[in-house]
Amino acid sequence: MEISGDHRFKAPPDMVWEALLDPVSLKAAMPGCEAMTATGEDAYDITIKVGIAAISGTYSGTVKVADRVEGESYRLVVSGSGKPGSVQGSAAMVLSADGDGTHVRYTGDVRAQGAIARLGTRLIAGAAKLMIGQFFKGMESEVERRTR
Amino acid sequence: MTEAQTLPKMVGERVRRREDPRLIQGRGTYVDDIKVAGMLHLAFKRSDMAHGRILSIDTSAAEAMEGVDLVLTGAQLAETLGPMPILTPFPAPAHHSMATDTVRYSGEPVAVVVATDRYIARDAADAIVVEYEPLPAVVDPDRALAGDPAVLFPDFTNILGQTGTNVALYVPAGTGVDPVAGTMDNTAIERAFDEAEIVISQRMWNQRLAPSAMEPRGVIAHWEPGKETLTVWSSTQNPHMERNYLCGQFGLGQDQVRVIAPEVGGGFGAKINIYGEDYVACAVSRRIGQAVKWIEDRSEAFVATTHGRDIVADLEIAAKRDGTVLGLRTRLIADIGAYEMLFTALIPTLTNGMLSGVYNIPAIRSELYEVFTNKTPTDAYRGAGRPEGIYFVERGMDMLARELGMDPAELRRKNFIQPEQFPFLTQAGNLYDSGNYEPTLDLALKNAGWEALKRERDAARAAGRIVGLGIAFYVEICGIGGWEHASVLVQPDGRVTATTGASSHGQGHETTFAQLLAGQFGVPIEHITIHHGDTQIVRAGTGTFGSRSQVAGGTALMNAGEKVKDRMAEFAAFMLGAEAETQADELEFIDGRIQVAGSPAISRSFAEVAAFAYLGGGNAAAAGIPYPDASSGLSEEAFWEPAGATFPFGCHISMVEIDRDTGELKLLKLVAVDDCGTIVNPLIVEGQVHGGLAQGIGQALMEGVVYDEDGQLITGSFMDYAMPRASDFPRFELDNTVTRSPHTPLGTKGIGEAGTIGSTPCLVNAAVDALSPFGVKHLDMPLRPEMLWRMIQGGAS
Repeated sequence: MEISGDHRFKAPPDMVWEALLDPVSLKAAMPGCEAMTATGEDAYDITIKVGIAAISGTYSGTVKVADRVEGESYRLVVSGSGKPGSVQGSAAMVLSADGDGTHVRYTGDVRAQGAIARLGTRLIAGAAKLMIGQFFKGMESEVERRTR
Repeated sequence: MTEAQTLPKMVGERVRRREDPRLIQGRGTYVDDIKVAGMLHLAFKRSDMAHGRILSIDTSAAEAMEGVDLVLTGAQLAETLGPMPILTPFPAPAHHSMATDTVRYSGEPVAVVVATDRYIARDAADAIVVEYEPLPAVVDPDRALAGDPAVLFPDFTNILGQTGTNVALYVPAGTGVDPVAGTMDNTAIERAFDEAEIVISQRMWNQRLAPSAMEPRGVIAHWEPGKETLTVWSSTQNPHMERNYLCGQFGLGQDQVRVIAPEVGGGFGAKINIYGEDYVACAVSRRIGQAVKWIEDRSEAFVATTHGRDIVADLEIAAKRDGTVLGLRTRLIADIGAYEMLFTALIPTLTNGMLSGVYNIPAIRSELYEVFTNKTPTDAYRGAGRPEGIYFVERGMDMLARELGMDPAELRRKNFIQPEQFPFLTQAGNLYDSGNYEPTLDLALKNAGWEALKRERDAARAAGRIVGLGIAFYVEICGIGGWEHASVLVQPDGRVTATTGASSHGQGHETTFAQLLAGQFGVPIEHITIHHGDTQIVRAGTGTFGSRSQVAGGTALMNAGEKVKDRMAEFAAFMLGAEAETQADELEFIDGRIQVAGSPAISRSFAEVAAFAYLGGGNAAAAGIPYPDASSGLSEEAFWEPAGATFPFGCHISMVEIDRDTGELKLLKLVAVDDCGTIVNPLIVEGQVHGGLAQGIGQALMEGVVYDEDGQLITGSFMDYAMPRASDFPRFELDNTVTRSPHTPLGTKGIGEAGTIGSTPCLVNAAVDALSPFGVKHLDMPLRPEMLWRMIQGGAS
């Protein structure tokens, strides 16, 4: 399932870039993130708790940052599994200057297996969108924290 | 065949279903209502992957949970339990109750948890961690045929001797095919197409459905080590068959195993199977010496219970311009899913056999491929192979009529098999027992007001509405499955206890079968109890499927009843002897009495005669009562098997309107004239037709199992798998003609599946008619508003 969207930050691209790729900010911004430990360069084990209808549950999995083009773009690869099944997603993130701020565009896809697919297919796009929205909101405060 | 026949009393009466008061008041006892002391509960860990190799299964967290007794993986179980047996005679890959090393569909069981309650069992199953190496999922049947993108069973050798293919079975049928010699003569079929003045060709799909019985499956297995007996309560359509398979699988004698089907809340073919969960429950109970229960939840039912249909046809019809059909040719691909269950491979072969429909088609050729895909296995679903075949033929006939500009009813009439041609062996290979199609067509046209409906449609069209008319004429095969057994016992108080091997799961045997005996014995229906669904009470049985109960079971019951009646007559004649010179065969059974024909005064009550029969010679002599030499009692049984299958038929007509703005289809009218031979209970026949229509209309308009490209089922709840509701239906206008079967004494044929068979092509034909002004020639089911809307917007291909 394809997902795409964008978000505008009020801070300049270098600051947004730094926040997006900082493990501490990543953990703080990721909705429901209960644990995140580095397992290598740009690779982490994570535990996320999701509370959205049929896809509710605790998921453990990995987050990787790939195809890193410093200050411009990267690919976020996430996979996790939990009681309701498993989910994999990947998103290309592209940053560009937008006046005083930064425009972040993302395009990616989500795949699900098991009960999540059976019961939650109609929910996944909405849930993903909701969680991405929460993620950017969290990132906004992370960026703001840096400007102080 | 149509000459009047004196039918037993009560045959043809609209007796209300005796089972309904308890069922509609929630007073029935289903498997889940049954509790055995000390019973433990099972939950299955199922595969999330559609196709993958099992790398590891970590059960430690599950085993450590409080209340968990045992966790078994598929591989562990396979150490003591072999692959599941099936009933079809073709080669099939091994299929274990739980996957051992490879999973082949999402939802396939990989491990089982045994715990003190259902909730702990579920939590523990969730705590099992399975690691897979993903394999490419085979989802598309065309690609499956080419072995793309994977082969499910690389080591399996099919009936053609091929290895490394997804082709499970190949069955050619029709004119010039000699299945014994394995030869194919194409002369006739090629000539038909060479001589054709018009050829219709269309690819059409009869989509995959989830049977969705109101009661999901469930099983309790109770092995009693002290007695070495296994008692199984199962939501099954055929307890005797289940008993026999369980015995075979566990090496137990058929006297050691008792299978009970309590109330069964619908089966629709999907509960013919003996499933992996049943075998696992029995294996676990034998291992721990305690009863275990497993109840399927609705979400599981979508993946764990067999699906139905899913056949794609490339259909061609050769005809003359006057509408005479010369030949029919088709290639069928049946997407049977990941494994072969009890009847899986057999079902699509029934489609092959139906391709003549009700028509005298001189040349037919079908080539059927059954392919494995990474989906839930298919098996019987209401109609089982016949709806698919009739759908293809009836869509094809409709396309032909449209191309020729003929009235679709008249095209059908022109090609009907004529009454004097019966018994008729079709080129598709079926021997039709009896048929008289024109009166049924005429009655349907009359009841629907066909000519007036056409004018109504044209007027609606002129007014800018999108309205269409559809007609379909079906025939189907009933009474298959061999013998059935019945027993009848008159108790000392004159009440009648009967058993039937046909195990009811909604068909109303307690009513129709009691009607037969009440008519025979002339006693109130309330004095008759019909037992079914327990292998210990019912001495032998086959089961309820393929619309066979009345044909095979009803006849067996009447035969057993007749024998007991003869015995009753002997006793009554003896008792009346002093008052009248009475011969047993001059007595009639009426109003609870046995009397000299025409002389109600010279009679004894049915109960008196029964009590007398139970006195026995010794007791009677001691009391100084003279007693006849008829000591064999009032209990008889009968096995009966029809000489051949029966072929009921019927005509369905519908009118639909499609909303121009939303694409929503509204069924305005549905007229059905069904001919199921002699009708025992019109009320129950109507109920069966209503249910069949509901499921057929569901298939035509909204139901459909959908998998994504990774083999994930994405219609896993009733939010996404659309079921029809009462508000989707008009008032059904039903009627009957009666063409008796020569194979049954009463002339009965079977009605359980008819409604699903006629209604799907009837509705699609109507929708295509409605959209024909937009250039639409064919629509695949389900007729979802979105697709119809696109057609209205000019999306016709």
